[in-house]
Amino acid sequence: MHRREALAKVSLLLGGALSGPTLMALGRWDNAAAGATLRDKLNLSAQQKQIIAEVAEMIIPRTDTVGAKDVGVPAFIEMMINDCYYSPEHRSFMAGLTELEGLKFLQMSAAQKTDALKQIEQKTKEQMKAYNAQTIKFGDNQDLEAMNAVKLGLPFWRLMKELTLLGYYTSEGGMKASFEYVPSPGKLELTKLKPGQKTIVY
Amino acid sequence: MNQSNINTQKANKYDAIVIGSGMTGGIAAKELTQKGLKVLMLERGREIKHPEDYDTANKAPWEFEHRGKVPINSAEEYWSNNRFGTLANEEAGAFFTNDKQNPFIEKRPFDWIRAYHTGGKSMHWGRQTYRWGKHDFEANAKEGVGIDWPIRYEDIAPWYSYIEKFVGISGQKEGWDIIPDSDFLPPMAMLPPEIHFKDAVMKKLNRKVTIGRIANLSQAQPIHTALGRASCQYRNKCSRGCPHGGYYSSMAGAIPAAAQTKRLTIRHNAIAESLIYDETKQKATGVRVIDQVDKSVTDYFAKIIFVTAGSMNSAALMLNSKSSRFPNGFGNDSDQLGRNVMDHHLGSGATATVEGFEDDYYFGSRPTGLYIPRFRNWDGNQRKDYLRGFGYQGGASRSSWNRGIGMDGFGAEFKKSLTEPGGWTLGFGGFGEILPDPNNRIYLDPQKKDQWGIPMIVFDAAFSENDLAMRRDIMVAGAEMLEAAGFKNITTYNRETHMGLGIHEMGTARMGHDPKTSVLNKYNQVHACKNVFVTDGACMVSASCVNPSLTYMAITARAADYAVGELKKRNL
Repeated sequence: MHRREALAKVSLLLGGALSGPTLMALGRWDNAAAGATLRDKLNLSAQQKQIIAEVAEMIIPRTDTVGAKDVGVPAFIEMMINDCYYSPEHRSFMAGLTELEGLKFLQMSAAQKTDALKQIEQKTKEQMKAYNAQTIKFGDNQDLEAMNAVKLGLPFWRLMKELTLLGYYTSEGGMKASFEYVPSPGKLELTKLKPGQKTIVY
Repeated sequence: MNQSNINTQKANKYDAIVIGSGMTGGIAAKELTQKGLKVLMLERGREIKHPEDYDTANKAPWEFEHRGKVPINSAEEYWSNNRFGTLANEEAGAFFTNDKQNPFIEKRPFDWIRAYHTGGKSMHWGRQTYRWGKHDFEANAKEGVGIDWPIRYEDIAPWYSYIEKFVGISGQKEGWDIIPDSDFLPPMAMLPPEIHFKDAVMKKLNRKVTIGRIANLSQAQPIHTALGRASCQYRNKCSRGCPHGGYYSSMAGAIPAAAQTKRLTIRHNAIAESLIYDETKQKATGVRVIDQVDKSVTDYFAKIIFVTAGSMNSAALMLNSKSSRFPNGFGNDSDQLGRNVMDHHLGSGATATVEGFEDDYYFGSRPTGLYIPRFRNWDGNQRKDYLRGFGYQGGASRSSWNRGIGMDGFGAEFKKSLTEPGGWTLGFGGFGEILPDPNNRIYLDPQKKDQWGIPMIVFDAAFSENDLAMRRDIMVAGAEMLEAAGFKNITTYNRETHMGLGIHEMGTARMGHDPKTSVLNKYNQVHACKNVFVTDGACMVSASCVNPSLTYMAITARAADYAVGELKKRNL
């Protein structure tokens, strides 16, 4: 059922859905030649790169297991924004970085940093509502044009969180440290959770 | 075309030519070679050797640079594949067809998803496998929709059995008329929340639920192991190609079976440009082929031709095969060639979170889920707003780390919590029947040609009011069931989709009794040229709402049996 699952993944209805250029491709029928004009490339300062690394490490810190920086998540995020996202996400990502620069994020204490990210997280909820309103639609298939007119990018925090988790939990270090990795199970069995049972990934 | 450059050697002669190596071409080649014919199979794409060319099959997640996401470059190259899905990702994207290099024209949007290589889309199919019921073959006549099928369930039932044993279908015997039982391998397990759901919707809504019937070998039989196939390993990475042959594909099943006869020749990179028609013999004598790499032209000859290039390409090939006898395309006296494009509409459904079952878990990644057979316009459950119905496919699972994306929180505790299995969700999407409509069609552009000089296909098809009404009901009826099971946070969805996304495109050279209204007869012969058989989805007269590959394969085996009988009787 992989093909169907692949489709289901795109729907943002479940919290864990992954984003990507697919969503922009929704508008292709209306706007066939738009692709080229929506391309962009990040041009990050050393300070902005540091902010990305710091935020990623705050999302997935090194504990008794490796953290985001240990498995190369900061560089992964930059690569992914460049390779997999159109200019609306470049704009929203840069807006988030600029906002943290303005707050002098790197100079904050650990507690202040945590507060700043919590505030951004709350604000992101409203931004996600607006974003979802343009990408998901219920009922009739009539109002696509109106949705395409908005073209909001995914908010900075959502991009950081998604790409940090993706980069970390699918890295060799992050995956093996976090889960029971079973590339070839060979059988299907109903089981009961054992104490401390980790998620099995395949 | 300069005739002197065309290779027309006598060595290019076979008993039969099969155009296409996918789901139906594979079966055609297997049946014809096993019945003693020397067969040439033409595949327009590159060769993929089973299993060694599945180069991503054993890769770990971290070996994919973009970790399953689709880079913009791929998204734009594979724009049709990628409009609503992630098919062009690094796991399997290379096995789909590059839409930029193989363009088509959309008068109305159509997601035409192709796989030009050995085995075609049989490498990627959803593998959900259901028999049609009697009602599916009778509905057009009863309701006055389109034309009547020239065959009935009884004509196809023995061929269903025959194909099912060869392919290997895992499923649960239920005894239901709506989806007759197949010859099953053992069913895969239903998960505890699914069993609860099944019981609740039967009790409260009298709706049926069964485990998804799937062409994965839950228990390989001698007929499978003889071809080197092994039981499913529950990796659920089928779309990358299965090194074990755990799921059925043309390359794991039919092609090796045909090759064992030593009567099969496969020619790759061979694009069928047209069927060659002999005006005096009033027969097709062969196929003109353009090499996709060096663009050389070769004519191949045979006594019979099976057109199994995929519904859209089969019709396009015939439309491009013009002669004095067939000025509007091969066998197109009825003007139905290219018309009545159908698919299954999908992208609407419902999902919910499940409370409880916290201790239940599973080992192994199940390649199937739940199936909820059609219950609308069935068994007294009549709708006023639309004809026919839909089935649902879905299932339950425990969430993994990606639930963290939409959750509040970050830091050490957040990190640790995401290593444990999360709560259950259960959801499903509808697969709806689309009615035949002559105005849903493909045709050849009179001017524009592809890089091989073949006219480009224009798609002009869209959903009807019937489809849109059904999609609304898919949401409502789905929510009802989730509610009946006591699930929480019920969400319904109805995504903007186009025809084609179901990748069940069919209907462009329909069968029928009357040559005035159909292209093929009841044995899939072109009415006006009996040595040409069209047995892929193009032949379908209606669409049902169940996945079509099994029916295509059964129809193909039946037609091949008839063709060889007619050859022996010297009727062809």
